[in-house]
Amino acid sequence: MSLQSLFGGLQDTALAHLVSKSNHLVGAGLQVVHIFGFVLLLAALVLVCLRLLGWVLSEQPLPRVVGAARRLFRVGMVLAIVSGTLIFIATARLYLSNWAFGLKLALFAAALVAQITLLRPILKHEQPPKARARLAVLVSVVLWFGIGFAGRLIAFV
Amino acid sequence: MNEQVPPALAGIHAWAERIEFSPFGLAIAESRYAFAIIEGMHLIGLAVAVGLLFTVDLRLLGATLRDVPVERVLHQLRPWVIGGFIVIFVTGALLFWSAAGRLVLSPAFPLKLLLMLLAGANALWFEFVVVRSEALRGNPQRLPRAVRVAGLASISLWSLVIVFGRLIPYLPSWYPSSGT
Repeated sequence: MSLQSLFGGLQDTALAHLVSKSNHLVGAGLQVVHIFGFVLLLAALVLVCLRLLGWVLSEQPLPRVVGAARRLFRVGMVLAIVSGTLIFIATARLYLSNWAFGLKLALFAAALVAQITLLRPILKHEQPPKARARLAVLVSVVLWFGIGFAGRLIAFV
Repeated sequence: MNEQVPPALAGIHAWAERIEFSPFGLAIAESRYAFAIIEGMHLIGLAVAVGLLFTVDLRLLGATLRDVPVERVLHQLRPWVIGGFIVIFVTGALLFWSAAGRLVLSPAFPLKLLLMLLAGANALWFEFVVVRSEALRGNPQRLPRAVRVAGLASISLWSLVIVFGRLIPYLPSWYPSSGT
Protein backbone atom coordinates (compact mmCIF):
# COMPACT_ATOMS: atom_id res chain seq x y z
CA MET A 1 0.00 0.00 0.00
CA SER A 2 1.43 3.37 -0.96
CA LEU A 3 1.72 6.15 1.58
CA GLN A 4 -0.73 8.13 -0.52
CA SER A 5 -3.48 5.51 -0.35
CA LEU A 6 -2.77 4.92 3.35
CA PHE A 7 -3.15 8.64 4.17
CA GLY A 8 -6.18 8.87 1.89
CA GLY A 9 -7.74 5.83 3.56
CA LEU A 10 -7.18 7.36 7.00
CA GLN A 11 -8.83 10.58 5.92
CA ASP A 12 -11.87 8.64 4.67
CA THR A 13 -12.54 6.84 7.96
CA ALA A 14 -15.68 7.69 9.92
CA LEU A 15 -13.60 9.07 12.79
CA ALA A 16 -11.72 11.41 10.44
CA HIS A 17 -14.99 12.61 8.93
CA LEU A 18 -16.37 13.23 12.42
CA VAL A 19 -13.53 15.73 13.00
CA SER A 20 -13.27 17.27 9.55
CA LYS A 21 -17.01 17.79 9.07
CA SER A 22 -17.55 19.29 12.52
CA ASN A 23 -17.50 22.98 13.45
CA HIS A 24 -14.06 24.57 12.97
CA LEU A 25 -13.91 25.22 16.71
CA VAL A 26 -13.63 21.43 17.24
CA GLY A 27 -10.38 21.61 15.29
CA ALA A 28 -9.35 24.61 17.38
CA GLY A 29 -10.19 22.68 20.56
CA LEU A 30 -7.97 19.80 19.42
CA GLN A 31 -5.14 22.28 18.78
CA VAL A 32 -5.56 23.63 22.33
CA VAL A 33 -5.42 20.10 23.80
CA HIS A 34 -2.35 19.34 21.65
CA ILE A 35 -0.51 22.39 23.01
CA PHE A 36 -1.42 21.50 26.60
CA GLY A 37 -0.12 17.99 26.11
CA PHE A 38 3.13 19.38 24.73
CA VAL A 39 3.50 21.92 27.56
CA LEU A 40 2.97 19.26 30.23
CA LEU A 41 5.31 16.68 28.75
CA LEU A 42 8.02 19.21 27.97
CA ALA A 43 7.78 20.71 31.48
CA ALA A 44 8.19 17.23 32.99
CA LEU A 45 11.15 16.54 30.72
CA VAL A 46 12.81 19.89 31.51
CA LEU A 47 12.33 19.33 35.25
CA VAL A 48 14.02 15.93 35.07
CA CYS A 49 16.81 17.27 32.84
CA LEU A 50 17.52 20.20 35.20
CA ARG A 51 17.67 17.77 38.13
CA LEU A 52 19.96 15.40 36.20
CA LEU A 53 22.36 18.27 35.57
CA GLY A 54 22.17 19.17 39.26
CA TRP A 55 20.84 22.63 38.45
CA VAL A 56 17.61 22.37 40.47
CA LEU A 57 16.53 20.38 43.53
CA SER A 58 19.96 18.72 43.63
CA GLU A 59 19.52 17.83 47.32
CA GLN A 60 16.41 15.82 46.45
CA PRO A 61 16.86 12.14 45.52
CA LEU A 62 16.53 11.65 41.76
CA PRO A 63 13.72 9.04 42.04
CA ARG A 64 11.57 11.55 43.94
CA VAL A 65 11.82 14.18 41.18
CA VAL A 66 11.38 11.56 38.45
CA GLY A 67 8.29 10.20 40.23
CA ALA A 68 6.72 13.67 40.30
CA ALA A 69 7.56 14.33 36.65
CA ARG A 70 6.46 10.93 35.36
CA ARG A 71 2.73 11.50 35.92
CA LEU A 72 2.88 14.90 34.23
CA PHE A 73 4.83 13.40 31.32
CA ARG A 74 2.33 10.57 30.82
CA VAL A 75 -0.71 12.82 30.96
CA GLY A 76 0.95 15.20 28.49
CA MET A 77 1.94 12.39 26.16
CA VAL A 78 -1.57 10.90 26.06
CA LEU A 79 -3.16 14.33 25.42
CA ALA A 80 -0.66 15.19 22.68
CA ILE A 81 -0.87 11.82 20.90
CA VAL A 82 -4.67 11.52 20.96
CA SER A 83 -5.29 15.12 19.82
CA GLY A 84 -2.43 14.95 17.31
CA THR A 85 -3.80 11.77 15.75
CA LEU A 86 -7.27 13.30 15.37
CA ILE A 87 -5.85 16.53 13.87
CA PHE A 88 -3.76 14.45 11.46
CA ILE A 89 -6.42 12.02 10.18
CA ALA A 90 -8.95 14.81 9.56
CA THR A 91 -6.79 16.15 6.70
CA ALA A 92 -4.25 13.35 6.27
CA ARG A 93 -3.69 13.94 2.52
CA LEU A 94 -2.56 17.52 3.19
CA TYR A 95 0.26 16.28 5.43
CA LEU A 96 1.68 13.92 2.82
CA SER A 97 3.52 16.69 0.98
CA ASN A 98 4.44 18.68 4.11
CA TRP A 99 8.13 18.18 4.88
CA ALA A 100 7.81 19.78 8.33
CA PHE A 101 5.27 17.12 9.29
CA GLY A 102 7.65 14.37 8.14
CA LEU A 103 10.44 16.01 10.12
CA LYS A 104 8.25 16.22 13.22
CA LEU A 105 7.36 12.51 13.01
CA ALA A 106 11.01 11.55 12.46
CA LEU A 107 12.10 13.64 15.47
CA PHE A 108 9.29 12.13 17.54
CA ALA A 109 10.42 8.60 16.64
CA ALA A 110 14.01 9.56 17.50
CA ALA A 111 12.86 11.10 20.81
CA LEU A 112 11.08 7.87 21.78
CA VAL A 113 14.18 5.82 20.93
CA ALA A 114 16.34 8.25 22.96
CA GLN A 115 13.89 8.02 25.84
CA ILE A 116 14.13 4.23 25.97
CA THR A 117 17.83 3.81 25.26
CA LEU A 118 19.39 6.90 26.89
CA LEU A 119 17.18 8.63 29.43
CA ARG A 120 15.26 5.79 31.06
CA PRO A 121 18.31 3.64 31.96
CA ILE A 122 19.94 6.67 33.62
CA LEU A 123 16.90 7.53 35.71
CA LYS A 124 17.16 4.16 37.46
CA HIS A 125 20.38 5.27 39.19
CA GLU A 126 20.42 7.26 42.43
CA GLN A 127 23.65 8.89 41.22
CA PRO A 128 23.81 8.58 37.43
CA PRO A 129 27.20 8.89 35.75
CA LYS A 130 27.64 12.57 34.88
CA ALA A 131 28.80 12.23 31.28
CA ARG A 132 25.97 9.88 30.33
CA ALA A 133 23.44 12.10 32.10
CA ARG A 134 24.64 15.15 30.15
CA LEU A 135 24.46 13.27 26.86
CA ALA A 136 20.92 12.07 27.59
CA VAL A 137 19.82 15.60 28.54
CA LEU A 138 21.36 17.14 25.43
CA VAL A 139 19.84 14.59 23.05
CA SER A 140 16.38 14.70 24.68
CA VAL A 141 16.19 18.50 24.82
CA VAL A 142 17.37 18.93 21.22
CA LEU A 143 14.89 16.36 19.93
CA TRP A 144 11.87 17.62 21.90
CA PHE A 145 12.56 21.28 21.16
CA GLY A 146 12.97 20.23 17.53
CA ILE A 147 9.54 18.60 17.64
CA GLY A 148 8.07 21.90 18.87
CA PHE A 149 9.75 23.87 16.07
CA ALA A 150 8.85 21.36 13.37
CA GLY A 151 5.26 21.36 14.64
CA ARG A 152 5.00 25.14 14.28
CA LEU A 153 6.61 24.98 10.83
CA ILE A 154 3.86 22.65 9.51
CA ALA A 155 1.53 25.61 9.07
CA PHE A 156 4.15 27.59 7.10
CA VAL A 157 5.57 25.19 4.50
CA MET B 1 -8.64 42.47 3.75
CA ASN B 2 -9.79 44.28 6.87
CA GLU B 3 -13.07 45.73 5.76
CA GLN B 4 -14.62 44.33 8.95
CA VAL B 5 -13.06 46.68 11.49
CA PRO B 6 -15.51 47.46 14.32
CA PRO B 7 -15.83 51.26 14.70
CA ALA B 8 -14.68 51.05 18.32
CA LEU B 9 -11.41 49.45 17.19
CA ALA B 10 -10.71 51.77 14.24
CA GLY B 11 -8.19 53.90 16.14
CA ILE B 12 -6.24 51.03 17.66
CA HIS B 13 -6.35 49.15 14.35
CA ALA B 14 -4.81 52.11 12.50
CA TRP B 15 -2.06 52.27 15.15
CA ALA B 16 -1.49 48.50 14.90
CA GLU B 17 -1.20 48.67 11.12
CA ARG B 18 1.44 51.38 11.40
CA ILE B 19 3.46 49.02 13.61
CA GLU B 20 2.88 46.04 11.33
CA PHE B 21 3.86 47.99 8.20
CA SER B 22 7.00 49.43 9.77
CA PRO B 23 10.21 48.18 8.12
CA PHE B 24 10.98 45.78 10.99
CA GLY B 25 7.44 44.39 11.16
CA LEU B 26 7.45 43.80 7.40
CA ALA B 27 10.90 42.21 7.55
CA ILE B 28 9.62 39.53 9.96
CA ALA B 29 6.36 39.01 8.10
CA GLU B 30 8.01 38.74 4.69
CA SER B 31 10.89 36.49 5.68
CA ARG B 32 10.14 32.93 4.70
CA TYR B 33 10.81 31.33 8.10
CA ALA B 34 11.35 34.15 10.62
CA PHE B 35 7.73 34.20 11.81
CA ALA B 36 7.61 30.39 12.15
CA ILE B 37 10.93 30.26 14.01
CA ILE B 38 9.88 33.04 16.41
CA GLU B 39 6.59 31.20 17.00
CA GLY B 40 8.60 28.04 17.71
CA MET B 41 10.66 29.91 20.32
CA HIS B 42 7.46 31.37 21.79
CA LEU B 43 6.12 27.81 22.15
CA ILE B 44 9.33 26.42 23.71
CA GLY B 45 9.52 29.36 26.15
CA LEU B 46 5.89 28.73 27.03
CA ALA B 47 6.48 25.03 27.68
CA VAL B 48 9.49 25.77 29.93
CA ALA B 49 8.09 28.77 31.83
CA VAL B 50 4.42 27.93 32.18
CA GLY B 51 5.15 24.21 32.34
CA LEU B 52 7.53 24.63 35.28
CA LEU B 53 5.13 27.15 36.82
CA PHE B 54 2.43 24.44 36.68
CA THR B 55 4.81 22.23 38.69
CA VAL B 56 5.09 25.00 41.31
CA ASP B 57 1.29 25.48 41.30
CA LEU B 58 0.69 21.74 41.72
CA ARG B 59 3.06 21.82 44.71
CA LEU B 60 1.06 24.74 46.19
CA LEU B 61 -2.04 22.59 45.78
CA GLY B 62 -0.29 19.68 47.48
CA ALA B 63 -0.56 17.53 44.35
CA THR B 64 3.13 16.91 43.66
CA LEU B 65 6.56 16.87 45.40
CA ARG B 66 4.84 16.86 48.80
CA ASP B 67 8.10 15.90 50.53
CA VAL B 68 9.88 19.01 49.25
CA PRO B 69 9.22 22.28 51.15
CA VAL B 70 7.32 24.84 49.04
CA GLU B 71 9.98 27.50 49.61
CA ARG B 72 12.61 25.12 48.22
CA VAL B 73 10.55 24.44 45.05
CA LEU B 74 9.88 28.17 44.60
CA HIS B 75 13.49 29.19 45.13
CA GLN B 76 14.87 26.51 42.79
CA LEU B 77 12.45 26.88 39.89
CA ARG B 78 11.94 30.66 39.97
CA PRO B 79 14.98 31.59 37.79
CA TRP B 80 13.93 29.09 35.10
CA VAL B 81 10.34 30.29 35.11
CA ILE B 82 11.46 33.93 34.87
CA GLY B 83 14.00 33.08 32.13
CA GLY B 84 11.30 31.32 30.12
CA PHE B 85 8.95 34.27 30.57
CA ILE B 86 11.60 36.65 29.21
CA VAL B 87 11.79 34.46 26.06
CA ILE B 88 7.98 34.44 25.77
CA PHE B 89 7.68 38.21 26.14
CA VAL B 90 10.46 39.05 23.68
CA THR B 91 9.20 36.60 21.04
CA GLY B 92 5.60 37.62 21.72
CA ALA B 93 6.52 41.28 21.13
CA LEU B 94 8.19 40.35 17.83
CA LEU B 95 5.15 38.34 16.73
CA PHE B 96 2.90 41.28 17.59
CA TRP B 97 5.18 43.64 15.67
CA SER B 98 4.76 41.62 12.47
CA ALA B 99 1.03 40.84 12.78
CA ALA B 100 -0.39 43.68 14.90
CA GLY B 101 -3.17 44.61 12.47
CA ARG B 102 -4.93 41.26 12.50
CA LEU B 103 -4.10 40.55 16.19
CA VAL B 104 -6.00 43.56 17.51
CA LEU B 105 -9.07 42.49 15.51
CA SER B 106 -9.25 39.04 17.14
CA PRO B 107 -11.42 38.90 20.29
CA ALA B 108 -9.10 36.19 21.61
CA PHE B 109 -6.14 38.61 21.73
CA PRO B 110 -7.45 41.24 24.21
CA LEU B 111 -8.86 38.37 26.32
CA LYS B 112 -5.42 36.79 26.39
CA LEU B 113 -3.85 40.10 27.48
CA LEU B 114 -6.47 40.59 30.20
CA LEU B 115 -5.91 37.06 31.54
CA MET B 116 -2.13 37.67 31.51
CA LEU B 117 -2.66 40.81 33.59
CA LEU B 118 -4.76 38.86 36.10
CA ALA B 119 -2.21 36.03 36.21
CA GLY B 120 0.57 38.59 36.73
CA ALA B 121 -1.37 40.30 39.52
CA ASN B 122 -1.91 36.91 41.18
CA ALA B 123 1.82 36.14 40.94
CA LEU B 124 2.73 39.51 42.49
CA TRP B 125 0.19 39.04 45.30
CA PHE B 126 1.58 35.57 45.96
CA GLU B 127 5.26 36.61 45.89
CA PHE B 128 4.96 39.86 47.83
CA VAL B 129 2.09 39.18 50.23
CA VAL B 130 1.59 35.44 50.72
CA VAL B 131 5.25 34.30 50.64
CA ARG B 132 6.30 37.15 52.96
CA SER B 133 3.57 36.35 55.46
CA GLU B 134 3.80 33.43 57.88
CA ALA B 135 1.97 31.18 55.43
CA LEU B 136 4.92 28.99 54.46
CA ARG B 137 6.84 28.99 57.77
CA GLY B 138 7.72 25.59 59.15
CA ASN B 139 6.71 23.76 55.96
CA PRO B 140 3.14 22.90 57.05
CA GLN B 141 1.71 19.63 55.75
CA ARG B 142 -1.60 21.23 54.81
CA LEU B 143 -0.87 24.56 53.19
CA PRO B 144 -2.90 27.64 54.19
CA ARG B 145 -5.89 28.60 52.08
CA ALA B 146 -4.20 31.66 50.54
CA VAL B 147 -1.38 29.50 49.19
CA ARG B 148 -3.77 26.99 47.63
CA VAL B 149 -5.94 29.77 46.16
CA ALA B 150 -2.86 31.37 44.55
CA GLY B 151 -1.84 28.01 43.07
CA LEU B 152 -5.29 27.30 41.68
CA ALA B 153 -5.63 30.83 40.29
CA SER B 154 -2.22 30.59 38.62
CA ILE B 155 -2.85 27.23 36.97
CA SER B 156 -6.34 28.30 35.80
CA LEU B 157 -5.37 31.74 34.48
CA TRP B 158 -2.26 30.59 32.63
CA SER B 159 -4.22 27.68 31.13
CA LEU B 160 -6.76 30.18 29.79
CA VAL B 161 -3.93 32.36 28.45
CA ILE B 162 -2.76 29.34 26.42
CA VAL B 163 -6.31 28.56 25.27
CA PHE B 164 -6.97 32.08 24.00
CA GLY B 165 -3.48 32.37 22.53
CA ARG B 166 -4.08 29.28 20.42
CA LEU B 167 -7.59 30.47 19.49
CA ILE B 168 -6.34 33.75 17.95
CA PRO B 169 -6.16 32.36 14.37
CA TYR B 170 -9.52 30.61 14.82
CA LEU B 171 -11.33 33.74 16.05
CA PRO B 172 -10.05 36.38 13.61
CA SER B 173 -12.90 38.86 14.06
CA TRP B 174 -15.67 40.05 16.38
CA TYR B 175 -18.10 39.45 13.54
CA PRO B 176 -19.29 35.91 12.75
CA SER B 177 -17.56 34.63 9.62
CA SER B 178 -19.64 34.61 6.47
CA GLY B 179 -19.42 31.52 4.29
CA THR B 180 -17.81 28.11 5.10
